[in-house]
Amino acid sequence: MHDHSLTRRRAIQAGIVGGAAAVSSFAVAQTGGQQPGALVTAPVSQSGLSPRLTMHAIDTFHGTPGAGMRCELSVLEGDKYRQIKTVTTAENGRTAEPLLVDDALKAGRYELLLHFEEYFQKWKVQLPTPNFLKTVPVRFAIHDVGQRYHLPVLFTPWGYSYYRGS
Amino acid sequence: MAGITTHILDAYRGRPAAGVRIDLSFLEGGSWKLVKSIATNADGRTDGPVVKPEDAKVGEYELTFHIDEYFKTLPDASGAQPFVDRAVVRFSIFDAKQHYHVPLLCTPGSCSTYRGS
Repeated sequence: MHDHSLTRRRAIQAGIVGGAAAVSSFAVAQTGGQQPGALVTAPVSQSGLSPRLTMHAIDTFHGTPGAGMRCELSVLEGDKYRQIKTVTTAENGRTAEPLLVDDALKAGRYELLLHFEEYFQKWKVQLPTPNFLKTVPVRFAIHDVGQRYHLPVLFTPWGYSYYRGS
Repeated sequence: MAGITTHILDAYRGRPAAGVRIDLSFLEGGSWKLVKSIATNADGRTDGPVVKPEDAKVGEYELTFHIDEYFKTLPDASGAQPFVDRAVVRFSIFDAKQHYHVPLLCTPGSCSTYRGS
């Protein structure tokens, strides 16, 4: 416990304690190593922009943007998902370009496969083997190509949530 | 207790989601094998465990929640074109002696899951 409180104190000093107070033998935030993207960016409003699909990965374990996470976007064709592109989130947890924009935005059923395990391993988070969440398929539908679709994903090694954002 | 259980909460109406189909699959030799399809009861849970303690083994599992069909039955139009498609939760049992409760909280526009207890 001594080690844990020391870790937590250091984390508080560094200003990086978010929802990361998990007291478990697994998935304990490591300090002294690298942390995912620091919180130095302001929220982004996409109001008024043209139709597009964007995402935002938010690491609620470290309390930071989910920087450097590999994501694969696929679309359902028949009964199979066909991969469209692979992207990696930037420092701010978003992708440099929209996942789909303007004419590329088509109605359909999509999957964004998020590489959680790879992400947390990169940030030296201790995980069980096999990890509870490895690659997570986020499935969603685009019905109206005249609208913007924003997909925020909030995640920890033990859970995640996603919703239609703005 | 070991094994897998689940619980679906309709966060739109603020009550358990009854009558939702759930498919359980297991990753075997690199492909997903459908183990069984079940439905939630009036409490949003399944009548028995999704995976019984004696059947639990280390490996990767997938629960497919047919909440898109469920929300189409909403009395207003909000569920007619849900953003959340058929929700798929992929997770691993890393210790077969432990219990894995995997709830799903959902609305037509959002869903959330976690290792519960």
